[in-house]
Amino acid sequence: MLVMNGRYEDAGHEESGHPERPDRITAAIAGVEDLHLGDDLRAVAPHAATRAELARVHEGTYLDELGAFCYAGGGDLDEDTYATYDSWTIAQYAAGGGLAVIEELRRLNDGVGFIATRPPGHHALRDRAMGFCLLNNIAVAAASLTEQGERVLIVDWDVHHGNGTQAIFWDKPDVMYVSTHQSPLFPGSGAAYEIGGMAALGRTINIPLPPGATGDVIRRAIDEVATPAIAEFEPTWVLVSAGFDSHRDDPMADLALTGGDFAALARTVAGFAPGPGRLAIFLEGGYDLAALRTSVASTIAAVLAGAYDDEPPSSGGPGTEMVHYAQAERLVALRIAQEAASKGDYSA
Amino acid sequence: MKTLTTIAVGFDGSADAKAAVRWAFNLAAQIDAHVVVVHAVGMLGRFEDRDAAKQLEESVRQLSDDCGLDSSRVRLHVANGDACSVLIRVADDPISADLLVVGSRGQGKHPGLLLGSTSLELAEHTTVPLVIVPSL
Ligand SMILES: [Zn+2]
Repeated sequence: MLVMNGRYEDAGHEESGHPERPDRITAAIAGVEDLHLGDDLRAVAPHAATRAELARVHEGTYLDELGAFCYAGGGDLDEDTYATYDSWTIAQYAAGGGLAVIEELRRLNDGVGFIATRPPGHHALRDRAMGFCLLNNIAVAAASLTEQGERVLIVDWDVHHGNGTQAIFWDKPDVMYVSTHQSPLFPGSGAAYEIGGMAALGRTINIPLPPGATGDVIRRAIDEVATPAIAEFEPTWVLVSAGFDSHRDDPMADLALTGGDFAALARTVAGFAPGPGRLAIFLEGGYDLAALRTSVASTIAAVLAGAYDDEPPSSGGPGTEMVHYAQAERLVALRIAQEAASKGDYSA
Repeated sequence: MKTLTTIAVGFDGSADAKAAVRWAFNLAAQIDAHVVVVHAVGMLGRFEDRDAAKQLEESVRQLSDDCGLDSSRVRLHVANGDACSVLIRVADDPISADLLVVGSRGQGKHPGLLLGSTSLELAEHTTVPLVIVPSL
């Protein structure tokens, strides 16, 4: 059973020539339709996140300013990020989609969630928009779960580091954030030595990868660096920042993944969920429409154990040494921080 | 007060940024400081044409000549990220700037709102003294 957010009108959030455009959602939904799920697909009613739901992860003053900025006609928030008159409403629906899907998964105690909303969210900080993102959709969902006592694993396979999500949960021990991303690349954060704050040491796991890295490398990164820590964390929920801009055809970056790689990744990540109804996949980036469509189909087919003719998985790209280096760098950073903690020195 | 030895200045190639760079270069010439010209490459930055980097270097060289600042005192630093985040980081290694200078562009498409204005966002978050150079 696939539980999806109901579609809301997002055409008003568009800037001429900008790659983050409404066609992306059409392509993602087409990817789901390609699977012909029939009764196995359930759409929940669209939900606009309330102020209280957003305020778990965003500053109230930022929410006020963003609303005012949009109603004043919008414009460029920075060199990458735009907002229009309609963006405030659309962003609230984008953030609310995850909440509605999770509520339905909890009710069913079964199924997998897929949240195809835009604008994307993982770059949005508590108090600032950036990298095409206005509100941090996955963070809003994760915060609603931790408030109910859940332990949430977020796996982020977007080609960019999810700096916003990392920052929001930096010092929160009930959220584990795992990111694979190309480096160097925007936003410049996501080094392996970024391991979480003193109250959440080791709860942030960053695995930077070089341009050209293939599926075998990224699977190795998850298996060797993240899986042991995830097992120890024992998540009760798993959320995915599924950015498909790590596909080899995406114009935004240079990783070399294929649909088959996303299928393999999705199967691995689904295995981290403790049972049915505990996995929700959030669309982040993905700017080549054909690649986005097939990658979504591969990902969803994989988690539903359905059939889809994936592109073959990729292998042989660079990055194995970088994964080993990241593991070493992470362990050193952990040891230094733990020693500092044992001495009561919280400045480290 | 700590002596100003390293001045960081944001540079996106715009006329306002050039005014800020001139101001920083003139100050550096007076007090024998070094200047790090900082350029942020955003998410869309990879679509900039290939000559962009060369043009950037050329503009910086031209501006230092104009201001009579020895080129050995000037360094160009290009970093991935949004301008605000990249400029906030100039206080840290490897730049360790004592002062941050920016132009006033984007000083408010919507007056009274912080959003959309890099200089106002920086004023809120900077950990080193900030100079906002008005465009003329
Ligand atoms: Zn991305």
